Amino acid sequence: MHDPLSSTFAALADPTRRAILARLALGETSVTELAEPFEMSMPAVSKHLKVLERAGLIARGREAQSRPCRLEPGPLKEAASWIEEYRRFWEASLDRLEEYLRKVQAAKTKGSRANRSKSKTKE
Amino acid sequence: MAQSTRQASAGTEFVLHRTFDASREDVWEAFTRPEHLKHWWGTPGTSVEVARHELKPGGIFHYRMKFPDGRAMWARFIFREIVAPERLVWLNGFSDEHGGLTRNPWAPNLPPETLNTVTLVEENGQTRLTVTVVPFHASEEEARVFAGGIAGMKAGFGATFQVLANYLAQRR
Repeated sequence: MHDPLSSTFAALADPTRRAILARLALGETSVTELAEPFEMSMPAVSKHLKVLERAGLIARGREAQSRPCRLEPGPLKEAASWIEEYRRFWEASLDRLEEYLRKVQAAKTKGSRANRSKSKTKE
Repeated sequence: MAQSTRQASAGTEFVLHRTFDASREDVWEAFTRPEHLKHWWGTPGTSVEVARHELKPGGIFHYRMKFPDGRAMWARFIFREIVAPERLVWLNGFSDEHGGLTRNPWAPNLPPETLNTVTLVEENGQTRLTVTVVPFHASEEEARVFAGGIAGMKAGFGATFQVLANYLAQRR
């Protein structure tokens, strides 16, 4: 099962690629500049850029030498809103769980009190 | 009082924390027994009808959610790790009436399954719950890649990624 978001998530699963995206969030930059902080060879960086480009997360200029990279926010926003939706589902469920546990707890306390008073009357 | 915090990580996962005034055993039972689950799983007003519940690795919890607007949906858990009363891991997705995986009908482009990990820790008579959710892909290898990704975030990647989250927030 492959869908656009799967490739987004697969691309984001790598810490180096996330770091590249974080760097690009600060502004457009050349491949050489991108490679510097990562202590990686240019081919290694290029490989990561290809994955990001295929996932539609970045775009690269056509200028012959430098081919500057920039962030494409579309897929990231889609991924973020999906996560947001699911997070809301969980938050709402946990609110209900909290309420439910309170009821269970109250019923238990009541039950044990009743048992205690029962055993007292037996004595 | 329950506290809920959110760790932002724009992209691949989310983590939620809650603290409950209940024993770890009680919270564990609320997650693992269908007669409890149906009282709280889902957004407010959702009712849960249980078709099958097999609490074992590879087992299915197959259920039907009915929403307040009258719509109904089959959904499922596939259990992966069960360590009572501290750790529960399952794949969460929509399904057909036979329990076969389907896509989210309202969002067909989304990954059809998520890997949900719940851990419970006792703290001063309360129970602290942590849930981690990541999108799940078909292969085990991809799951491992994701696990690596989460480890990377825990190792302090969060701050760098926050820059990206801020950027996305600005673009909204």
